[in-house]
Amino acid sequence: MKSGLGLVGVLVLFATLGPWVAGQDPNLSDFVRGVDGQGLPVGPGAAHWLGTDGLFRDELARLAHGARLSLAIALLSTVLSTVIGGVVGVVSGYLAGGRWGWVDGLLMRLVDVMLSFPYLLLVMAVGAALEQTGPGTVLLVLGLTSWLGTARLIRSKTMVLREQGYVEAARALGQRTLPLLLRHIVPGVVGPLVVVSTIGMASMILAESVLSYLQVGVQPPTATWGRMLYEGQHGMTLQPRLVLAPGVAILLSVLGFNLLGEGLRDALDPRQAR
Amino acid sequence: MLRRAFRRLASSLVVLWGVVTLAFVINFALPGDPARIVAGPQARPADVARIRQKLGLDRPLLEQYGRYLQRLIHPGPRSPDRRDEVHGSCGALGPLHVDLGVSYQQHRPVLELLLSRLPASLLLAAAAMLVQLAVGLVTGTAAAVRRGTLADKGVVALTLLGVSAPTFLLGLGLQYLFAYRLRWLPFDGYGQSSGERLLSVVLPALTLGLFGAAYYTRLVRDEVLGQLGQDYARTALAKGASRLRVLVVHVLRNTLLPLVTVVGLDFGTLLGGAIVTEKLFRWPGLGQLSVDAVVERDGPVILGTVLVASTAVLAANLLVDLSYALLDPRSRGRGG
Repeated sequence: MKSGLGLVGVLVLFATLGPWVAGQDPNLSDFVRGVDGQGLPVGPGAAHWLGTDGLFRDELARLAHGARLSLAIALLSTVLSTVIGGVVGVVSGYLAGGRWGWVDGLLMRLVDVMLSFPYLLLVMAVGAALEQTGPGTVLLVLGLTSWLGTARLIRSKTMVLREQGYVEAARALGQRTLPLLLRHIVPGVVGPLVVVSTIGMASMILAESVLSYLQVGVQPPTATWGRMLYEGQHGMTLQPRLVLAPGVAILLSVLGFNLLGEGLRDALDPRQAR
Repeated sequence: MLRRAFRRLASSLVVLWGVVTLAFVINFALPGDPARIVAGPQARPADVARIRQKLGLDRPLLEQYGRYLQRLIHPGPRSPDRRDEVHGSCGALGPLHVDLGVSYQQHRPVLELLLSRLPASLLLAAAAMLVQLAVGLVTGTAAAVRRGTLADKGVVALTLLGVSAPTFLLGLGLQYLFAYRLRWLPFDGYGQSSGERLLSVVLPALTLGLFGAAYYTRLVRDEVLGQLGQDYARTALAKGASRLRVLVVHVLRNTLLPLVTVVGLDFGTLLGGAIVTEKLFRWPGLGQLSVDAVVERDGPVILGTVLVASTAVLAANLLVDLSYALLDPRSRGRGG
């Protein structure tokens, strides 16, 4: 958990301060100091700390700006998917088996359908349908397609919670449904929601980089980690560092959020700790 | 048992229908005019209009949807002729025909395209599953038996790293090491002969499989740890059974059930969802086909690949559910 928190902290720091520290335009080609004697991008040095990429742009600046974008997209899409998944889960779980049980049935069939739909195809197709792919589209697409697991989990938690004595007591005392949900059910599912959304951050960072890698993410020349990886792979055999830099960045941030999520889960539910 | 199987089958079919509907709607919402794509960029407006009418794209959406569902499974002659106007793109299953239309880009029946890609996808999925099962079972059990040691902690840390690495990063790394540096294995492609094919499948299978293996290792480790703590394991040990016997005969047998669940589900997903790996290694499977179809706005192929991928996932779900009854006698009584 501590190492997870540390990694995430470093990542946030890098995203906020990085662009300023790198101090260069991530989309500007430097044909003077960014090119070596053979006309290839320079390696790490004083002018460019991490060297330049295939188009002689500063690698560190691109990495830092990419961090900002990747993190922002991951954060907002996670918020979106957590909200949708939470609401669907609580509503579905509370209504299941009752007079409004058909609502639960309908929602869960929708989840079934979307879950058996090939995920990347769904994302790509929704992205293509929204036409121009800016960061806003990408986060919308990711958020709208990734709430399914959350909804299922929260639904089952809600079904357990609503049978608890205090919930029945509140209902018997005549509390209306909405306040009852907000006051007695929602606080009970916040813990699992926090855990799911932390691990969700990890998968969003991965998904965003996969989209960029498949060239259906944020369009060039904007720097994202996946895009940098895609551009770096063509010269991989000559300059592995151009694959390594964004690759390690993705790996460490995903690892950080995974560690943090697992730490939170063990902290919130000590019985499951291994 | 039979009733349960029937009910599960019916609900799978409902979900499948939902998938087709969703795919149809998304397909319709995609930008670009299919008739123009088929006709080509140089075509005259009159030709585009004629093609639009021929493909039925000038009809209302609901009618197109109805027609697609109708064509999906319909009766027809036993052996359809490719030159046949009505049944030209069909595949026959006895007196029943399956028709997924004709690709806008490649002008071949979608069914034919899908069938031509299926062997590559099956090979890759099977090889990847082999990797993740073998690695997962061995390292997971070993870590559980040596719980708390440095080796165990190392394995747990490695698995976390494994599930955090993007597939394409692992794939690129493997390519760099084994294909470029050591030159042991082909960089990408499918190979011409079956010998080449077996060599070509190694790297993509490792890429897919090591990712899954990390997950399986954790699963097996947790499960074996849980089982080792059970009374029956302690009793068997107390009776003088060797540790190896307890592990293999008692414990591993009980970890099989949860493993079968994920193996079934994963195989379904692997079959239709190895998009990134297939692209990275230029593997001519269903994943590549589907990505190309989305990029090229090839509607019928998009629908076809979605249908195949979803069917694979749903069929796997169904089989897993039914296999419970066979593997776990306790679940037989319930629900009939």
